[in-house]
Amino acid sequence: MEKNKNPGLTREKQKRTSRREVLRGIAGGITGTAMAGSAFAAADTGSTKIDKTHGYLPPDVPSWSKSLGPGVVTHPYGQPSKFEADVVRRNVDWLTADRIASVSFTPIADIKGIITPSGLVFERHHAGIPDINPDHHRLMIHGLVERPLVLSMSDLMRLPSVSKIHFLECAANGGMEWRGAQMDRAQFTHGMMACCEWTGVMLSTLLQETGAASTATWLLAEGADGAKMSRSIPMAKAMDDAMIVFAQNGEALRPEQGYPLRLLTPGWEGNTSIKWLRRLELGDQPWHHREETSKYTDLMADGQAREFTFVQECNSLITTPCPENPLRAKGKYQIEGLAWSGRGKIKHVDVSVDGGVNWREAKLAGPVFNKAWTRFSLDYDWDGSPALLQSRSMDDTGYVQPTYEQLKQVRGTNSIYHKNAIHTWQLLATGDVVNVQLA
Amino acid sequence: MFSSPKIVTVVIQSFFYLTCSFVHQAIAADSIATPTGYYGVGNVPSATEIAGWNIDVSPDGKGLPPGQGTVETGEMIYDEKCSLCHGSFGEGVDGFPVLAGGEGSLTDTRPIRTVGSYWRYTSTLWDYVNRTMPFNEPESLNVNEVYALVAYVLYLNDLVDDEFTLNEQNLTHIRLPNELNFISDPRPDVANARCMNNCKNSEEVVIASSVVASVTEEKPLEVTSPEMPVVGQDTYDRYCALCHKSGLGGAPIVGREDDWIDRLPSGIVKMTQNAIDGFSGSSGIMPAKGGFVSLTETEVGNAVKYMMSRRH
Repeated sequence: MEKNKNPGLTREKQKRTSRREVLRGIAGGITGTAMAGSAFAAADTGSTKIDKTHGYLPPDVPSWSKSLGPGVVTHPYGQPSKFEADVVRRNVDWLTADRIASVSFTPIADIKGIITPSGLVFERHHAGIPDINPDHHRLMIHGLVERPLVLSMSDLMRLPSVSKIHFLECAANGGMEWRGAQMDRAQFTHGMMACCEWTGVMLSTLLQETGAASTATWLLAEGADGAKMSRSIPMAKAMDDAMIVFAQNGEALRPEQGYPLRLLTPGWEGNTSIKWLRRLELGDQPWHHREETSKYTDLMADGQAREFTFVQECNSLITTPCPENPLRAKGKYQIEGLAWSGRGKIKHVDVSVDGGVNWREAKLAGPVFNKAWTRFSLDYDWDGSPALLQSRSMDDTGYVQPTYEQLKQVRGTNSIYHKNAIHTWQLLATGDVVNVQLA
Repeated sequence: MFSSPKIVTVVIQSFFYLTCSFVHQAIAADSIATPTGYYGVGNVPSATEIAGWNIDVSPDGKGLPPGQGTVETGEMIYDEKCSLCHGSFGEGVDGFPVLAGGEGSLTDTRPIRTVGSYWRYTSTLWDYVNRTMPFNEPESLNVNEVYALVAYVLYLNDLVDDEFTLNEQNLTHIRLPNELNFISDPRPDVANARCMNNCKNSEEVVIASSVVASVTEEKPLEVTSPEMPVVGQDTYDRYCALCHKSGLGGAPIVGREDDWIDRLPSGIVKMTQNAIDGFSGSSGIMPAKGGFVSLTETEVGNAVKYMMSRRH
């Protein structure tokens, strides 16, 4: 078995790194069945016997090219290749008391575009996942409205709907890093987020249908889960870009994401996008419920706490290289990653390989949508020497992603939420990558 | 009293988004102004229907139903239904929330955020207990029980005396110590510059903390591995682990063989039946199906088998 080069990673991840090494070896032109065969035997840590007489690299022809595979609807609902089995959500047991009121993390280092597959979207539940029959689900709108309404799912489907691509990020994403580098990989430093296409009805459409009193300044959104998860939302957001969402990435919402109906407040902390949405009540003051007092308030160093801190500010992360995606040979690479802002579009992303002394502007590699993940990419010729990699994004309001030093100076280290500091990966001479924080 | 929401929007937006002129354009692009009731979908709910779901309580007491409860009654309910997670004195058990204490700790390195030290309004406590407590049986308490429990938690925080009776009239008179310590969101609160070259001296680039060197060694990560699903495991993870991982309510802990030895002689059939019907003994309480009535008997049975298979 391969020696554990990166003590921060589990054996499972080591195995996977080995597999990738092999894949890179193939791409790099390693030929010969004996070599490839032994590499795969190493990757499988001896658990699978590789028959060396049946090679699959040129000039040999692999078995799958000389046989039939399973037919259509072998999997009526398709699954990823079994070789991608380690691209999954994970949780960190010590973070929460149990898994019912807990969080899991998107494998952000493995996301290859701006859309997160529905089954990989991070989860945050406060009373577990309710099992809701959509025929038995209703959305009630009442309070300071002209005409209260109860809507079934089929009622909602009759209204004009829109599709939009937006990120969704937990307020606590990266919150374990305030006092110093703590988590060993990108999945855990930045994985409390995802970006999807969302389809639903603009909340403004629904509130026009009910009519709103001139005195209505806030609305309470409430879920149908055991937590009756509730948040107060300013009417301005409700009438701006909030959506009542029933579909995600082209299919019905997943149960973990609020099936059959959720609120989406683009660019705002994820908990305000109430899942399993059952009720909207219009009022003239915020409700100050538990999830906007005890939790999701930001404690400052002086003991004061900020409340109703909704926006997820401009942020970015390098996903190649990162602890999950080490480099294995000198040469040319692309430094790649994701940038996002809850205030608008990404304007620039700059990358430093010397810990922030000098920066180069990266290319925005793909569509640039409002309040959505934006990919970036930069040529990098790695000479094998250690480096300190950072990315720094700027959005179209002119806001530049801050340093840890700047954030801590203003907020201290107890605020838990809304940490959007420039992140540093230490690239070692071995090609392994370690999570570090600079002084 | 009522007017078009379009006009409301403009007024509110100018209040919240003084500097963001794009907001109004976003509305125009995404939805066409339509008169109230234009689509005619859905039904108007009756007062009774609204009352069934309208459970929220505001800081001014709006939404509080008539009722009352004493600290003494609250203590009895608390000991039975709350102390397993929150501890006998609100100190919190195994990572479940601490309810009392922590006064003066908000500027400490490790602040303790409790009802007494951190929460803003008493109404929040009533709303939350009524909305979702106890954790494994949300909305199972009656109104007077909620008043009693809230009274007891206030007592644990030295905010009322042990003779106190809480009701819908006096609840809003109890002010929490930290009420005035909340401020609105001032962000953006930092202004970084987009410097490109020689932004600092390279001598200033010093690693202050590293995952390998520091915290992970002290507290190793336990990562969930994507194993093949095992029959009963899903049910266990979702419904049973809350108690059978922590020992809540005297539950035998999975992986701790001593907890299971005395139970083995009764056999798996009897144990499964107890799990389905509920069971109360000297060692603890097993609610019928763990309180999750939607579980089938097969699901419960498989979960029991799973737990038995993992008792070592």
